[in-house]
Parts: sequence; C-alpha cells; structure tokens
Amino acid sequence: MPMIFQYTYMQRALLVGCLLAVLVACLGTVMVHKRLSLIGDALSHSSLAGVALGLLGGFNPIVGAMATCLVAAFAIEGIRKKLGNHSELAVAIVLSTGIGLAGVLSGFVKSSADFNSFLFGSIVAISSFEMYLVSILAVVVLVAFLMLYKELFYISFDEQAAGISGVPVGAVNAIFTILTSVTISIAARTVGALIISSLMVVPVAAAMSIARSYKTTVLWAVFVAVASTLGGLVLSFYQGLKPGGTIVLISVGFFLLFRGIRLIREHGAQVGQKEG
Amino acid sequence: MPSALLFAILASANANHSQKEKERNRYMLRRFKNTKEKILAGMLAAVMLFPMSLAGCKQSEMWKDAKGKVKVMTTIFPMYDFVRKVGGDHVAVEMMVPAGTEPHAWEPSSKDMRKLEEADLFVYNGCGMELWADDVLKGVANKKLTTLQAAEGIAAEGKQIVADDPHVWLDPMLAAKEMENICDALSKVDPDHAEDYRRNFEAAFSKCEELDAAYKERLASYDGKYIVVAHEAYGYLCSAYGLNQIGIEGVSAESEPDAARMREIIDMVETYGISCIFFEELVSPKVAETIAEETGCKTMALSPLDGISQEEIDAGNDYFSVMYENLDALCDALGGENLG
Repeated sequence: MPMIFQYTYMQRALLVGCLLAVLVACLGTVMVHKRLSLIGDALSHSSLAGVALGLLGGFNPIVGAMATCLVAAFAIEGIRKKLGNHSELAVAIVLSTGIGLAGVLSGFVKSSADFNSFLFGSIVAISSFEMYLVSILAVVVLVAFLMLYKELFYISFDEQAAGISGVPVGAVNAIFTILTSVTISIAARTVGALIISSLMVVPVAAAMSIARSYKTTVLWAVFVAVASTLGGLVLSFYQGLKPGGTIVLISVGFFLLFRGIRLIREHGAQVGQKEG
Repeated sequence: MPSALLFAILASANANHSQKEKERNRYMLRRFKNTKEKILAGMLAAVMLFPMSLAGCKQSEMWKDAKGKVKVMTTIFPMYDFVRKVGGDHVAVEMMVPAGTEPHAWEPSSKDMRKLEEADLFVYNGCGMELWADDVLKGVANKKLTTLQAAEGIAAEGKQIVADDPHVWLDPMLAAKEMENICDALSKVDPDHAEDYRRNFEAAFSKCEELDAAYKERLASYDGKYIVVAHEAYGYLCSAYGLNQIGIEGVSAESEPDAARMREIIDMVETYGISCIFFEELVSPKVAETIAEETGCKTMALSPLDGISQEEIDAGNDYFSVMYENLDALCDALGGENLG
C-alpha cells in the first residue's frame, strides 16, 4: 500500500475531496451557464454571517450557515430577475451584504476561536462526522442533478424558451438553488471556501474550452475538478505544499492547457480550410 | 421636509464662519440650478459634515471611572493583568484587544484611538506581538502619553532569545521582568505612588519565583521531552524548562497545515510516544482533533494567555492561575507518556 493511503486523514481527504469535486463541478456547470459564476464566493461569505448569527442566537452555527446561504441564494435569484441586463450585479450585491453582515455580527461574537472553527475548514483535517455528512450530501445532490439533468440543461441556456416548452422553471430553479446553498455551506466548512468557490468555476471554464457539447462539458469539468483535487493532495502530501492553493492552481493549469489545445485545434482547422 | 432639514444643517454649519465665507457658500449654492441639484448638494454637505459633528463629543466620557487614577491602555491580557497587579488601586486599566481575539491581525477602532488620546501610559508587549502598535502610535497626537514596550531588555536577563516568538511571558522570570518594566514606567508617570508600585511589584515578583520553582520541580523529570502544540508559541516556556515543542503550525497561528506537515507530526507522535495533543483558545481545534484521532492521543488545552476568554477573566483567572493550570496540563500530558 502506498504511503499516502496509510493515514486516515489522507484517506478522508481523498474521499471527501473527490466527492465534493464531482458535486461542485456539476453545480458549477449550471451556474457558469446561468452567468452566476461568482455565486460560490457570495454564498460562502454569506454563510459566515450565518455562523455568527448561530453563535449569537444560541443555535447550531451550521444550521445558521445553511439558513443564510439559502436566503442569500434565493435573494440572488430574485434580484437577478429584476436587473435584466445587469443580472451579474445580483451576486455582487449579495456578496457585499454577506461580508458586511458577517463583519458587523462577528463584532458581537465573544470568542473568535468558536467563530474560526466554524468558518474555516481544512481538507487535511476532516472529522468522521463531516465525512458522513458529505457522503450523504453527495448522493442526494448527484441523484437530483441526474434526475433534473435535461431541465437544468434547458434552463441554463434559455430560461424563457424552457418555460415556454413546459419546463417548470420556477420549481427546478428552486430545487437547484437549495442544493447549491446546502452544498456550499457544508463544503466551505469542511474543505474551505477557497477550494469550493474556485472549483465551481475554473474546471467548467477549462471544460468549455475543449468540449463540443453540454454533456462533455459536464464530464470534462468533473474530470478537471477531480484530477486537480487528487493532484493537489498528492503534491501536498509529498512536497509539503498548502493543499487548498495547490488544488486551485492545478485547475488553473488545466484551464491554460485546454485553452492551448483549443488554439492549436482552431489553427489546424484554419490551415485545413485554406489547403482544402 | 428633508430639504428643510438639510438647509438647517447647512445654516448651522455656517454659523461658525465669517461673513465672507457665508457669502462664498451662498454663491456655491447658487451654482446649483434647480432644487433637485440643491438637495443633492445639501445631502453631500450633510454627509461630509456628519463626522465633524461627532468629533465634538466629550472625550472625558471615554474614561468614566478613572478620576484621579493613572489611565493605562494595554494591548493583550498578559499586559492588562501585569499592569493590574503592579498598579493596584492607583490605575485604571483598559485592554484594547478584546478577550478571545487573535492579537496579531487585530486593529484598533476609532473609539480605542480616542481612549488612547486621553491615556497616560500605553503598554504593549512588543517582539512582533502587536504588529499594529507602531502605526497606532504614529497616529496618536497625545503628547503626554508615555509608551512602554514591556518585553524591552529581556535579552539582558541571560535567557535565550527565541526568534520570532513574542510569547515572552510564558517564562515566569521574564514575566517578572515585564512587570518590573511596568513598575518603572508607572513610577515615572506617577512618582507620588512609586513606593506602592514597587511594593506591588515585589509581591508579584516573589509569586513569579514560586511559579518558576514549581515549574522547575514538577518538570524536572521530563527534561528533553516533546510536546505537540497548536502553534509554536511556547518557545520561552520550553527553553526555560528543557522541553521541546512540535508546532502543528508555525509561529503564526493562522495558516492551514499541509498534508506533509500532518504526516510528519503523526510520525513524530508515534516515534516519541506522545500521548497528548495540546490545543489553544484562538486556534481551531479541528487539526489537533484529527491528529489525536489518527494517533489515539487525547487533547488538552494549553493556554498562551493572549487568547483568554472574557468568561475566564470574569471568573477571576489571572496570569498565575492560568500558568498553574498549564503546568498541571503539561504534567498530565508528559506523565501519561511514562505510563504508556
């Protein structure tokens, strides 16, 4: 058995990391196509406000984080529809509100240690409770994603057309919003906000550079997310690099690589056209 | 109604100015053609005048119970506690960094700055503990403020200096040195009570000696042993009593560990037969718990004292009580090792 599998914490990191990479890449594909690529940042920051609320109100901070994530996600959906051409402002507004609220509320939280332990996850320090939680979450979200695959696909590209052809846009959007906020509030606490908000976007951007259909975009995005997570963990284990940052940089590496492949392909196509 | 209010504000702002300025202001107002623009200009003026109206607040409200006392601003709990011990009834002490807050990255609010403007003495630890202290002192206009870096002169104590570790007070004899510095500073600011300060300091000094003797005696049989701590804050404690620390994180408590560091620590725990992982108030216990679970160790609290919570302070804990608790925890952890 290679050394990397001999440690429980690494087994957990690999398992939870891969599960979340698959989940987040799937959710991210939809979000990027809906032009909400920064939603991961907005929701993970809003969940800080929820943690503070939980600590102040005397209820479980994880519940607080989920609740504010839900409110924030629905607020983004609501504001987005009202703003028309400037719909990307919705994410910025909710992001600002989340940070502002978290900043003010954290001033009332007496012990910053409690606060920190709920805010910042680390992929190399995952408790067994978190491992089970993420496993259950993964099953639920993946089943929902596969069942709603066609509807989500349609909505991602053209919400209006989807509505006209009989897709229950409101309901599908609502379910998807709930799944996203629950995933982000749990994942941000488990592996850290950096990994989650980046893996939602960068692998999808990489996949879109080379994929020729929606389905292959999803598959490539999942591949890039999982490969980056595994690569980052292995490098962190053997080379002592910080896991979060390494995972994110590897995914950016994939993006650059795939852009390069696309350039070569396009160049090849042009040359082919000229010669033909 | 709102525009009337705004003009009232403008008028009151004008009241202090000379006739010429009034005319100029009126001229400025005339340049805005319609009412909407005037309202907007009025609102802008009101927004800009708002902070000025606050500046007029009475500053003496900041130090309410400090009448006739030396007003001392301190940064973190050990400084607060030392000043309290040496100053006794003659000082009013404030702790700037709230209990349970990470002091490195903390920044003072404008309220803190105003308190500092009124204070007589500012005591900070130094050695890189309060990275913001220099900036703060540059921004203070208070000419009568005396500043003391409590860790000043510890090099002359014949102790080994631990690079980049500001937690000087974890060695009781260096804590005594800090108290002596505080005693000198207080005597300079308030010479009338110099004798009392000296007496208080001497009482605290003999308690430091007792504490030091207790540490020496109870830790004597563990010379050269290893402790695993949340972050490398115990350099002075370890060098004074012959222990070695393995920090899950470096001197800075804020970074997340990497997978290789986790493996190293787990391997060291097994090699040295360590039975306890220490966590502390200000660092998330998740990493300590993960390592403990992996290696079958227990976890215990070991406080570097800068992150003590308000509840602990309210419960009457001070430097000595926490240091004795730390000693019990250390003996428990190291003693368990012998059994296992």
